[in-house]
Amino acid sequence: MTYRQNGDGGLGRRRFLTTAALGGATIVGATALGGIDADAAFAAEPSLDPAIPESSFVEGRITAITGSVLQVAGSYGDHSRVQMTNATSVWKVRPTTAAEIEVGDGLYARGVPMPDGTVAADAVWVNIVNLDTTIRGIAKDRLHLSHGQHEIVGRVRPDTTNASYAGRALTPDLSRLRIGQSAQVLGAWRPSDNSVDVVRVSVGH
Amino acid sequence: MLSLTTGLVPLVLAGLLGWTGSVKLFDRDTVRRAPRTALARMLRSSERAALVLRGVGAVELLLAAGLTAVPANPLPGTATAVLGAGFLGYLGYGRALAPESSCGCSASEDTPITWRAFARAAVVLAGGATAAVAHGTWWSTITGRPGGSLVFLAVAAAVLVALSADLDRWWLLPLRRLRLRVFGHPLLGGEAGDHVPVAASVELLERSLAWQTASPVVRSGLLDHWEEDGWRFLLYSGVYGRGERARPVSVVFALDAAVGRDTPGDPVVRVGLVDADTGEPVARELLNAVPPRRALPMVG
Repeated sequence: MTYRQNGDGGLGRRRFLTTAALGGATIVGATALGGIDADAAFAAEPSLDPAIPESSFVEGRITAITGSVLQVAGSYGDHSRVQMTNATSVWKVRPTTAAEIEVGDGLYARGVPMPDGTVAADAVWVNIVNLDTTIRGIAKDRLHLSHGQHEIVGRVRPDTTNASYAGRALTPDLSRLRIGQSAQVLGAWRPSDNSVDVVRVSVGH
Repeated sequence: MLSLTTGLVPLVLAGLLGWTGSVKLFDRDTVRRAPRTALARMLRSSERAALVLRGVGAVELLLAAGLTAVPANPLPGTATAVLGAGFLGYLGYGRALAPESSCGCSASEDTPITWRAFARAAVVLAGGATAAVAHGTWWSTITGRPGGSLVFLAVAAAVLVALSADLDRWWLLPLRRLRLRVFGHPLLGGEAGDHVPVAASVELLERSLAWQTASPVVRSGLLDHWEEDGWRFLLYSGVYGRGERARPVSVVFALDAAVGRDTPGDPVVRVGLVDADTGEPVARELLNAVPPRRALPMVG
């Protein structure tokens, strides 16, 4: 039995990986290089990293889910098939599993083209949106945002929503948000009621 | 009450049409905003739309003057009702044709066509019809019942302001700000406290030398995270090696769970690479070969 079969995300696997990390190398130091997480969904440029030579990018709405393959209708009339693997990361408000993906969701995926025409996904971001907004109202569980001519309800989730003030580190403290501020909002769009689950709100940037 | 309403409706309508008409006719921004209105889409020309907006503004001003000067005459009331019906038709058409565009109702703000624009047009239609059948004048109503008239006018003005989306910033936002000031910030004092969110750890990791070293191997986004003994573990998947020798690997980082990007000092990150199938550690020599790199001290 391989350790992977020890239950995906299960305690045994985590314990094993905990040991692997703490027994691994210790690296001290900071760099200015960026990352590949949620923001990377909006990176227009392909990776310059030689280790990722042939990544391809898929975006669109999920029209069907067949086993572990997502059928995606792109915004420009194109169609793609995205193959999920057990090494694919899934972001939907938070890191989650492929089981949370639903038909009708919007998707950005990065992966490797396969000979059968599918894209084997390395990372999938579901319903991710990045909006330039103005805060028009603040309530206990939501922010009223205006984005161009759209009025958007941003849902605040105590365990998920973080704020960054003037470029500082992310904090769960949202009490410094003010009405009238310009806010960059990264979140997950909810197709059912067109609201946005706010994941990160950056003000004073 | 009925006589109060029929007596004062012409005055209320004159106030509304006088305001929206003068904004459309005299505001320099009418030309600038015309391209964004549903009218421009309808007429396929923003110059024509600006011209029509100015024309409608002039008609509104004319009607306002008529409603003020000869309230007992049915003509201004009837014309206002026709204008209201025209507005309703335009809004319905605009909503179907270009729901994203501005309604151009008062041409002073880029507000999309919402139910409030429809409600205001309906008020113009109903008010016009009422004014057309009214016999008295508004000045005799005011002199006859000054108290009731004042209340009626105040309520009517409040309703019209509430129905005008372009006035929100003058009353709705200050009201919301006042509510925050009086009742306190609703998002103050969550149970989170000084807790460093996972996203902040990811942010710190992505600015670390450890990430720079391991990122050529990492292919996925964040797969999983958990905490143990003050450490926060972040799991990614990746591929190590090239061609035939390429192996799927799990890349797991461990950071101090209480440290974020604003914490002084260099981030200390532990990295483990294990073969995803066998669980054997790989690439130890690659990770161990990294010399520590200190950040330059910052002033202040």
